[in-house]
Amino acid sequence: MKVKVGDVVLPGDYCDEIASVGAKSKVLIGPGLKKEIDHVFVTKAGVLKKRNPSTFWVDSYQKRYIPCRGENAIGIVHQKAGDIYRVDIGGSCTASLSYLSFEGATKKNRPEVQIGDVIYAKILVASKDMEPELVCVDSHGKKGCLGVLSDGFVFKCSLNLIRKILSPSCPLLDSLKNEWPFELAAGMNGRIWIKANTLRETIAVGNAILGAEYLSDDEIKTMCNNIASILTGHIS
Amino acid sequence: MEEYKVLQPFKYFNDHISVNVRPDGRKFDQQRSIKLNANSVNTADASSLIKCGKTSVVCGISLELATPKAEEPDNGFLVTNVELLPLCSSKFKPGPPSDYAQVVNNTVNDILKNSKCIDLKDLCIVSDKLAWVLYCDIACLEYDGSIIDACLATLMTSLKTLSLPHVIYDIETEEIKVDVNIRHPLKVTGLPVATSFVIYQSPDSNVALMDPTSFEEEMCGGNGANLVVCWNQGLLCGIHKFGGATLGTDGHKKLLNVAKERSKTIEEVINTCIANETSE
Amino acid sequence: MVEEDLKDFKLKPMKCELNFLNKSDGSAILAQGETVVLVSVNGPLDIKSTSQNMEKATLEVIFSSKGGKPTVSDRFKENVIRQTCETAIFGCLYPRTGITITIQELEDYGGLLPTTINCTCLALLNSGLAMRHVVAAVGCALDEAGNLIIDPTNDQIQTATATMYFVFDSREKNLVTGFSTGTFGEGVYDEALERCRAASDLVFNFYRDIVASYCNVIG
Repeated sequence: MKVKVGDVVLPGDYCDEIASVGAKSKVLIGPGLKKEIDHVFVTKAGVLKKRNPSTFWVDSYQKRYIPCRGENAIGIVHQKAGDIYRVDIGGSCTASLSYLSFEGATKKNRPEVQIGDVIYAKILVASKDMEPELVCVDSHGKKGCLGVLSDGFVFKCSLNLIRKILSPSCPLLDSLKNEWPFELAAGMNGRIWIKANTLRETIAVGNAILGAEYLSDDEIKTMCNNIASILTGHIS
Repeated sequence: MEEYKVLQPFKYFNDHISVNVRPDGRKFDQQRSIKLNANSVNTADASSLIKCGKTSVVCGISLELATPKAEEPDNGFLVTNVELLPLCSSKFKPGPPSDYAQVVNNTVNDILKNSKCIDLKDLCIVSDKLAWVLYCDIACLEYDGSIIDACLATLMTSLKTLSLPHVIYDIETEEIKVDVNIRHPLKVTGLPVATSFVIYQSPDSNVALMDPTSFEEEMCGGNGANLVVCWNQGLLCGIHKFGGATLGTDGHKKLLNVAKERSKTIEEVINTCIANETSE
Repeated sequence: MVEEDLKDFKLKPMKCELNFLNKSDGSAILAQGETVVLVSVNGPLDIKSTSQNMEKATLEVIFSSKGGKPTVSDRFKENVIRQTCETAIFGCLYPRTGITITIQELEDYGGLLPTTINCTCLALLNSGLAMRHVVAAVGCALDEAGNLIIDPTNDQIQTATATMYFVFDSREKNLVTGFSTGTFGEGVYDEALERCRAASDLVFNFYRDIVASYCNVIG
């Protein structure tokens, strides 16, 4: 079936606009679109989006993570094997993380990572035919915000929710950060790590994030205010 | 050539199809030669052996007496069992029947039931007391595709040559006397014939291949035939399509007619075979 | 004539909830009339190396009937669903992995297999796996008077001389899967195929409505 940008699409649909834009210039097709011989077909159910001038993608619901190059993910160290760690990032197979891809690590000076540690890492290599490879440093050899996440609390959610809270237009984190201090790391693989001063506050952040999945921007603001007032003891 | 087939099976297959010929030299709608033999197993009450190209299947029917089910006191039983042993192909492993064997069995059984060629009431001797059980064991000796066609053909030939001994049942003493010298043939109405196709998705258009070999089945998705059409005396009694590549309406209609033509041929083969058998 | 056609294309009411199960990657519960099926999809998963396929994802379908006892006809249903899904899913994007589809029959008042296929398709949409097209299953029955009934009720199936089920893809509306019971003529078959093909639009529209209602919420 023919569809337009902004429509709800199903797998097997095609969009003439992609073809007409493609005739003039290069087109970037994102997740949920696939080129087959001469047509671009939709492969996922969701809403067809476009960013000018020529980027198209489908915004779809998903829970299972498919590793993708350049994304940040939260993983759990499963195994030490030779000079790599095996890290579970929720994909179809474990990802590998080299001893040497930490800031300042050398053959002699190994990083202190134990089995069971939570790692915030960037995906360097992701291919359907190969095991994904993680790194905990950027291209300058600096760790930035990557590395082992100590203490805190990890929970899982859908991939859409991660994208939603990380989107600049989402008021959730902006509203929450004004209420009380906390640290947060969001992995694109549907895992969130949070750390706040007290257990009560940690649970409050977690619930606020999970509660925001089906809410509009205004509702999110109201919810954040409610949670804040409950936490400070104004309402019980 | 043989190395090419092993190393590049898809390319090898595609090269053949693109010049309108199949790897074994047949045309797309050409079937393999059929050899049929009735009463090939002496220990069975009725039996037959079929060879379609390299696929060979043997069917034996053994008779038993049993009490009918209380829900259907006037019906006898007909039990089919298709066995795909490791003997017939390296694809099958020893052990309990594989999923594929169960699917073949279910399809053959469905076709037989839908065609209504055997009236289960004919198998009843005394209502609620005594009825025949027909155990139809179908064993594949060599597997080279189109297994459902072969199973059904050999099963129908066996059923057509089956005769039931005369049974005297004494209701008061519940004594059973079987007189094997007096036999009357089982009534079989119609003759369902199944025809398998695989549909190959070639770059320009999809083509259907009749009576596929095991290699052709593998090239077109793997699990047996894509389409099984069953004709019974000018009526359809089962169309099973299992995924795979799709065909347009015209192509579909053409296949039905091809299958219809083939069903007449097979019918003739079976009837000739039975006629020869009885005249001997 | 037109009016009569529209009346024929009325399907039994369909009700669906996506993401019914919390823990699975995709799930759907679908009621078509009184027949209810629950499907859960998990994958792509790590599977043992003997069943891995270098070219594409390995599909595993588990059908549990209401009674819970596995039968030969369950294997047949699994086979039909697996082969249908194999054409629908872009398996080549997930090589060496496994996709598990678990189906639980909840109520069977006729037309179980079409409902199962439609529900499986919805669960796959929910799971976010890449698909070539969506599929829609439509059944029809031939009654003793020779009339075709689209999407028959249980009573109509019981008294019918033949039933036919068709599964169509959403791109070209070609026949993906088909199966039948009973005997029927060629003309009847052609007519049933065309009518079901037309009726499949209703199922595709239903999919679109369901996806739309969920998209609005997640937005």
